[in-house]
Amino acid sequence: MTRAQRSLTLWLAVALILVAFPIAAPILPLQSTVAIDIPGRFDGPSAEHWLGQDELGRDVLSRIIWGARASLIVAFGSAFFAAVIGTILGLVGGYFRGLAEILAVRSTEIIICLPPLLLALLVITILGAGIDTLIMALTILFVPKYTRVVYAATLQTGALDFVTAQESMGTHPMRILARTVLPNIFPPLLVQFSLTVASGILLESGLSFLGLGVVPPAPSWGLMIRAARAALDVQPLLLLWPSLALAGTVLLLNVICDRLQEVITPRTAERGGAAWLRRQLGLTKPEPVADDTPLLAIRDLSVAVSTERGTIGLTDTVGFTLKPGETMALVGESGSGKTLTGLATTGLLPNALKITNGSALFRDCSGTVLDLAKLTEDQFRPLRGNDISMVFQDASASLNPVHRIGDQLAEVIAEHRKLPRAEIDTLVVDLLRRVGIPDPEQRRRAYPFELSGGQRQRAMIAMAIANSPRLLIADEPTTALDPTIQAQILRLLDGLKDENRDMGMIFVTHNLAVVKEIADTVSVMYAGEVVEQGSVAEIFERPRHPYTAALLASVPESESTRLESIPGTVPRAGEMPEGCRFAPRCKHAADICASVDGLQTLADGRRTACIRWETVT
Amino acid sequence: MSDQATAMEQTSAGTVIVEARGVSRNFPQRQGLFGEKRDVWALRKIDIDIRRGEALGVVGESGCGKSTLGRLLLALDDPTEGTVTFEGQALNEMRGAPLRALRQRMQMIFQDPFGSLDPRRSIGAQIADGLRNHQTVPPAEINAEVARLMDLVGLDPVTATRRPHEFSGGQRQRIAVARALAPRPDFIVADEPVSALDVSIAAQIVNLLADLRDDLNLAMLFISHDLHVVRHLSSRLVVMYLGRIVEEGPTEAIFAAPRHPYTRALLSATPSVRRPAGYRGAILEGELPSPADPPSGCAFRTRCPLAVAACAGAVPELEDIGDKRRVACIRHADMVAP
Amino acid sequence: MLRYIAFRVLIALVLVWLVSTLVFLVLHLVPGDPAELLLASGNTAPDPEAVAALREQMGLNRPIYEQYLTFLWDLLHLDFGTSLRDGASIGPELALRLPRTLELIVAASIIAALIGVPLGTLAAMRAGGIADKITSASASLALSTPVFVVGTAAILVFAQWLGWVSAGGYVPFAEDPVRHIKLLLMPACTIALGLSAVLMRMTRASVLEVLERDYVRTARAKGVSRRRIIWRHVVRTALVPVVTILGLEMGTLIGSTVLIEYVFNWPGISGYLVRAVEARDYPEVVGIVLIISFIFVFLNLLVDITYALLDPRVKLAK
Repeated sequence: MTRAQRSLTLWLAVALILVAFPIAAPILPLQSTVAIDIPGRFDGPSAEHWLGQDELGRDVLSRIIWGARASLIVAFGSAFFAAVIGTILGLVGGYFRGLAEILAVRSTEIIICLPPLLLALLVITILGAGIDTLIMALTILFVPKYTRVVYAATLQTGALDFVTAQESMGTHPMRILARTVLPNIFPPLLVQFSLTVASGILLESGLSFLGLGVVPPAPSWGLMIRAARAALDVQPLLLLWPSLALAGTVLLLNVICDRLQEVITPRTAERGGAAWLRRQLGLTKPEPVADDTPLLAIRDLSVAVSTERGTIGLTDTVGFTLKPGETMALVGESGSGKTLTGLATTGLLPNALKITNGSALFRDCSGTVLDLAKLTEDQFRPLRGNDISMVFQDASASLNPVHRIGDQLAEVIAEHRKLPRAEIDTLVVDLLRRVGIPDPEQRRRAYPFELSGGQRQRAMIAMAIANSPRLLIADEPTTALDPTIQAQILRLLDGLKDENRDMGMIFVTHNLAVVKEIADTVSVMYAGEVVEQGSVAEIFERPRHPYTAALLASVPESESTRLESIPGTVPRAGEMPEGCRFAPRCKHAADICASVDGLQTLADGRRTACIRWETVT
Repeated sequence: MSDQATAMEQTSAGTVIVEARGVSRNFPQRQGLFGEKRDVWALRKIDIDIRRGEALGVVGESGCGKSTLGRLLLALDDPTEGTVTFEGQALNEMRGAPLRALRQRMQMIFQDPFGSLDPRRSIGAQIADGLRNHQTVPPAEINAEVARLMDLVGLDPVTATRRPHEFSGGQRQRIAVARALAPRPDFIVADEPVSALDVSIAAQIVNLLADLRDDLNLAMLFISHDLHVVRHLSSRLVVMYLGRIVEEGPTEAIFAAPRHPYTRALLSATPSVRRPAGYRGAILEGELPSPADPPSGCAFRTRCPLAVAACAGAVPELEDIGDKRRVACIRHADMVAP
Repeated sequence: MLRYIAFRVLIALVLVWLVSTLVFLVLHLVPGDPAELLLASGNTAPDPEAVAALREQMGLNRPIYEQYLTFLWDLLHLDFGTSLRDGASIGPELALRLPRTLELIVAASIIAALIGVPLGTLAAMRAGGIADKITSASASLALSTPVFVVGTAAILVFAQWLGWVSAGGYVPFAEDPVRHIKLLLMPACTIALGLSAVLMRMTRASVLEVLERDYVRTARAKGVSRRRIIWRHVVRTALVPVVTILGLEMGTLIGSTVLIEYVFNWPGISGYLVRAVEARDYPEVVGIVLIISFIFVFLNLLVDITYALLDPRVKLAK
């Protein structure tokens, strides 16, 4: 059981124990709820009356426990009836759409246009006060809430492929609803149920407080608070007890609801918030490093994730160098650590991930060499978007949807260069034109959603090159694009390299064919390690690592109808084999592979992690 | 390949099983509350045949209508115009129980290996659904049949009780294939089945599909945006652009000499490991026009390097140019010369 | 934008019509004779003469479509009918009390927004930390305590024990502005407490979600300063869902206002409503419910427009 599940169980147990009292009220040795004792009016707690006596001398404790019955019957009753009706309406409306949707869903939404308390009052006016009326009024009130939740969840689930799969398998629609859709909408339904029970208790007590709910002399918490209000100066304790019972019950329900949501959608919030949000005190200039790297030298860089079960290494001793004007491809399959290496270089790793080892030496535009792996967020900021910039894979998610692209572009210029607004505007238009966005004077006023996928990526690239960076890291910049648009973006990046001949580029990709078109050198990554490095021409001509060779062979381009494939799957992080990580899938693996590790430099300057490269390649 | 399958192939290979004639699909969009309804054609006048033992490849970029076509052929959606027939039965005239019964014979494999399996049920139960729906095997033999199917797609039958989240992307795609095979279909639509997978894993799935097509003599519609993948599975290819077929014919012939300028552009835009490093082919300018407001005449003319004034006139018909090839371009003859 | 607003206003008008129809129908949808229902109490059958008289008075003898059309026609002329008890016209009484209720709602909303949004942002930025735990726990407590309990307790503490303010009441602004605001403050703060807790929780959840978004990473990759990222990229975007939630909370807000007016003897619409329900004066209740529902629809219209101002995607996507 996870922590959230344990917590939920605990609170549910508390709730069950508390609910047991009102359920067992008839058999508990309680005082009468209606026996009047005028001399004992407003008496405080005593041995006989544990919580004291009310304005008519009645026992407060037994009235609290019996009052709970009224609240619970009304709340659970209405929540249950509404759940049944609302679920059916929502399922039918969400799955069949069309007319069913209008009748079942849209019609109930009119009820939402009436404030809940008022609708209840309307029903009470017609039917007169009482518990039955309350249940009916609250049921009407809650039905649209369930309908809405179930309808939305059904729409969402119904659009998923596995529901279409059931359909295409010829499963009866009713069976699909019951077996596939219903279980998947159950979690939000459960949350809604606990919410409506809490809301039902609040409404019942509120109406009773107004004297329009439960009819006296029947006990109810709302009525008790109403009575206590008239006697505040005489006996304030009379306000305390029902208020505590009421607030305690609702609080308990809300806590259960929160825990429930945590169990359903677990989310890991970093303790104390994301590290980058913290302001550092005593900002210092970063220490320069004495090193002669011309642009970038990554050495032994390791990234790990901290989980509940400890630290798990994700990349291990990654190293490469990049010269000005050079384009290096970081290529590998999912889980190889190529993207993490790119993010680590810019200090943008997700919260749970940390650099555990190694350095990333970078020569900035003033000629100082810095270790990027040791910079704090505040030390990094002047470099980002200026010396080092990034292009991300999913441009539609990487652009802020509520700001115009021109403003987002102006932001990166204004942050690093103190220029008058008019000059920045001219630069923005220039940049948009340079990346091939037609009609830039108009288009800069567009929001990201008004642009096509290719244009969004162009805008993203414009931001990255706005301050002529020395290092551009492009993380799968063309993966989400169609082939003809991908070709345009690759051509654009190519042109930018020609314009700024000092700019080094790291091109992260899984696509070997793209590597061949764009890069000068390549580092092949597998399971968190670099397995081979060299120039593009040499590696494609003659790979020196069995993984590279197998990867090249599996590209679907050969004339043979049968593709080469690599058996098995990439080992999971934390379950890495000893020695060579590719050995379990390698057709050339030998005993020696389990014991060795490390990249060796060959005579021609290329590097491979395969100990048997001479025999197998 | 088993002898039985070989024998079957000899008797029934090549017979047309699925046929689309003049199929169009319109998704009308309303402009504002009282605005006019505007036609948005996802598909226009599609004619295709799919034969037993053949995987017809459908290639095109996003928005070309290829997925809509797949859904129409499986009767998951009805065409606005035209007919789809399955072994001579018109699908759009069928409803309810008869249609559900016919679904046994046609199945689908999806792109996203994570969304296509119900996260809450064991994979064995999901594979068994198809067996139960159509009583493919007696109830007592369901478990054995699930094991056989899992074995067929290269999964360990012991894992049948596990839920999808315990499997990798490639393994999930194998599960999806097993589920599609369970009712013993004759026709499978595979909608980008390897696009979400890594290259080395994609190769495994492509090989698996090729084996199944041959061993089970399946008819297949293989949808992809990647020309190279299609080439490995399909001997016949359909290229689509903005809802229309622009070129059709034997895969190798199209690769060797595309006759539609879009096909040629697509071929040169798709990066290749076999070209020299730093290769730069011809690049198609501009972007896909909006399907709500397509250009007059040939939809491709706005981006076409060969476009002439006549292209804006009539929509070019798909024209038979011999060698079992068809192309919809008035200048296809100019594509032959180097 | 104008087109969008026109469209939303149109929808609001349709809603007003639908709500009116619903309210009209409620009486006729309940099984049994409306007049008998309204006069029934307990198990004793109502006096047939009284039933007949009520039928006559409410026009229940006429065909239902005629009743409906008269009802709509009167509404169009802002005629909310007459009271059963004294035959007085409902409109003027509503016109007198409505502004006082609206004042309370507006004051409470402003206070709630000023507390809820900044606290929610702070809690999200320090998620899991001490500041977050304290604010989140306080919000849970505020959400769980019914508004009339808070109000009554506030009277006990601030009026009776500390003697800072009087227990309730109302003085027109024109008469004594200072005292008016003093009297307004306690009920407004009580209503605001629950709403600010909702806003705080929503803002917290929304900010947490936005912090995980790719475009925040992009802003960091551009070297944008922390303050600018938080205000321009995080809070600005996070407010979009908060505003929609606000629309859903308007109903609860109106319910709280009815209860709190009653607690503090604020002479708004609530006292009128409670007396009408007690007397089961149906036309009066319908009149009041309708006018409050119209306000509710109007508030939601404001929310929709704010939403469109915050999120450019909304107004263009029909």
